Amino acid sequence: MTIGIPRALVYWKRPHFWETFFEELGFKVLLSPSTNKEIVEMGVKVADPETCFSNKVYFGHLIWLDYSPPAVPKCDFIFVPRLKATEEKLEYCPKFFGLPDLGKILVKTPILTENFDERKEKFEKTLKRLGGKLNKNRGEIKKAQELAFLKEKEFKKKEKQEFSLKIQSKKPKIVLISHPYNLYDDYVNLRMKEKLEKLGAEPIFVDEVPNPKCDRSPFLMGWVAQPFLKGCGEILNKSQIPNLNWPKFHWEFGNEIMEKIQRILSYNIAGVIEISSFGCGCDAVIKEFVEKTFKENKIPFLYLMIDEQAGEAGIQTRLEAFMDTI
Amino acid sequence: MKPIITFARWGNYTIAFKTLFEQLGLEVIPPEKTTSETIAEGARIAPEMYCFPMKVTLGNYLPALKKGANTIFMVQNVGGSCRQRYYGVIQEKVLKEAGHDINFLDFRAAPKDIYSTIKKISGASLLQILRAGRFFFKKLHLIEKIEKLAQFYRPREIEKGTADKILTDSLLKIEKADKEKDFSRIKKEILKRFSGIKIEKNKDLPRIALVGEIYTVCDPTINFEVERKLGLEGIEVHREMDITYHLKKLIFPWKDWIIQRKINPYLRSTVGGHGRDAIYEMLHYIEEDFDGIIHLLPMACMPEVTIRPILEKLHQESGIPFLSLSLDEQVAEAGVDTRLEAFVDLIKNYHNQKNSYIRNSQEV
Repeated sequence: MTIGIPRALVYWKRPHFWETFFEELGFKVLLSPSTNKEIVEMGVKVADPETCFSNKVYFGHLIWLDYSPPAVPKCDFIFVPRLKATEEKLEYCPKFFGLPDLGKILVKTPILTENFDERKEKFEKTLKRLGGKLNKNRGEIKKAQELAFLKEKEFKKKEKQEFSLKIQSKKPKIVLISHPYNLYDDYVNLRMKEKLEKLGAEPIFVDEVPNPKCDRSPFLMGWVAQPFLKGCGEILNKSQIPNLNWPKFHWEFGNEIMEKIQRILSYNIAGVIEISSFGCGCDAVIKEFVEKTFKENKIPFLYLMIDEQAGEAGIQTRLEAFMDTI
Repeated sequence: MKPIITFARWGNYTIAFKTLFEQLGLEVIPPEKTTSETIAEGARIAPEMYCFPMKVTLGNYLPALKKGANTIFMVQNVGGSCRQRYYGVIQEKVLKEAGHDINFLDFRAAPKDIYSTIKKISGASLLQILRAGRFFFKKLHLIEKIEKLAQFYRPREIEKGTADKILTDSLLKIEKADKEKDFSRIKKEILKRFSGIKIEKNKDLPRIALVGEIYTVCDPTINFEVERKLGLEGIEVHREMDITYHLKKLIFPWKDWIIQRKINPYLRSTVGGHGRDAIYEMLHYIEEDFDGIIHLLPMACMPEVTIRPILEKLHQESGIPFLSLSLDEQVAEAGVDTRLEAFVDLIKNYHNQKNSYIRNSQEV
C-alpha cells in the first residue's frame, strides 16, 4: 500500500517525521516532488482565488498525487493531517483546520486524516489512533513512532550544529523570518537563500534559532529550576524582556517567532527579511509587531510578499538594494 | 481626563450601543457613518493585508476622535480563532502611531471582563449596569425585529419605498428614546406603522438568503444595501445572522453542536469565525427550497475563504444559484450592482422554471 504525502504546508511543520513513521509501519511512501512551476499552476487553477499562496501550493501538490480516472492511482491514500493545537494549547492557522475537507473535494484518492489536537489528547495517542486506522497493532506503531522521533531529533541536532557555525561566521548575517513552509521550499521563496549567499551574506532561518523553551514551563517550574540551570545560559526569562510589546498570540508561530526575535536581537545581525505569502491572514498581524521590534532596535528590515506572480528579477533587485543599505 | 467614549460601528445596531454607554452616564460621540471617505481614511493608516471590517471601524473612529472622543471600546474574541481578537491591539497601535492620544479599552467578551471594564470607566453601580444592559437589549431586539419586518414588507408593499421610509423613521425614533419608561409605547407605535403598510397578499416571491461573515452581512453601509436593493426588486431576503444570534451562540454551546452534526459530511472541524454557520445555513436554505444564496465576506477573511469551496460544492450538487461577493475598500458600488442585477435575473428565471415544473407535474 502506498501513502502519498504532499510536500508543502503542514509537511514542513514536521519534515522527515511523517515519511519515517509510515515507512516504519511498512507502507510505501510517495512524497510529492519539491514545488515547481507546474505544481503551482495546478494549485492556482483549483484553489479559491482569495486563499493564501501557501494553500494554493498545497492544493497543487495534492493534485499531483491524484490521478485522472483512466490512469492507475499513484497512491492508495493521501495523508492530510488536521493540525489543530500544540502542547502549549496554542492553535495552528485556521486554514489548516479545513484542509482534509477541502482535499476531499479536490481529489479522487481517499484521504487519510486525523485530528491532532493536543489540548484534548497527546500527540502519541493520536498517532496510535492513526495507526489503528491502518490496521497496525500497538507495538508496531510505538516502534515506528520512536524511530520517527529519533530521525527528527537527528535532523534537529544537525541543524543546531550548522547554526552554531553560522552564528560565528564573519559575513553579514541576515535573518529570514517566515513560516517553515516558506523557508524550506526553495521554489516558493524564489531561492532566497541562494541569492543571499551569492550576495555575500549569511542567511539564517528563524526556524533554526534555538527556542527558549524553559520560559514557557508551567507555573513556577522555570523559576524554581532557574538556579540549577544558570550555567546553561539557555534561559530567557520573561522578566528579562523589558515589558512585552506584543499581545499574547493564540497562534503557535506567533509567540514562537516573537520570542525568537528577542533572542535574535542579541546576535549582532546585519538585517532582517520577512517573507510572507500573499493572502496570509496571520502574517498581517504578526508583521506589525515584528517590524516594530526591529525598528525600535534600528535594524534594517525588509518585507517581501510572495505569490504566484512574483518574478525572480524583481526580488533580486530588491535584495541587492537591501544589501547595499547594510 | 474625562472619558468621552466612541466605539466600533456596526450597522443599525450602533444605536443600541450608543444607548448602552449613555445609560451608564458616560459622554458618547458615536462613530461616523460609514462612507467611502471613512473607508479610505481607515484603509490609509491600517495594515495593508488586514481584513476589511478592521479598516472600516478604524475609519469610523477617526472623525469621532477629531470631535473630541478620547476613549475607544473594542470587544475581542468574537469568533474563536480568527483575526478579530487582534483588532483592538492593532487599532491601538495604528492610532497611536498616527498621533492620537487615546485610551483604548480592549476586553474579552466574557461577563467578568465586560463588567470590570465598564465599572472602571464609568463607576456605575451594578444595578445601573444591569438596567443599561436591559435597555440595550430591548433596543437591540426592536432594531433586529424591524429589520426583519422591512425584509418582509419591501417586496410586497404596493407603494414602493414605504417600508424603507418607515424603517429610517423608526431608527431615528429609537435613537432618540432615552427613557426606558416610554420605550414600550414607542415600540407599539413603530410596529403599528409597519403593520399599516398596504401589501399584495399571496404574492409568489422568489426567496434569497444572505449567509457569510457577520459584520458584512449585518451592516447595510458596507454591503451596499444588498438587502434593500434585492427587496425592491421583488425578492424576499432572509438572513439569520445578527447580534442576538451571535450572543446566543456565545452563551449556549449546543447550537454549535447542532451545527457540527449537520455539516459533518462537509467539514469536520471548526475553522474559526462563523465558518461553520455559513455551511449550516446554506444546507438549511437548500432544504427550505430557496431560490438563491448570496455569500458575503470581507476580502481574504480566513474562515469564510476556507469554507467557500465547500459552499461552491453545495451549489454544484443542488443547483441552487450562488453568488459570492467579497468586499474591500477597492470594490465599487457599480460593480456590485451589475453582478446583483445579473443574479436577480437568474433567480427569477430559476424561480419561474421551478414553479412551471411543479405545475406541469401536477397537471400530469
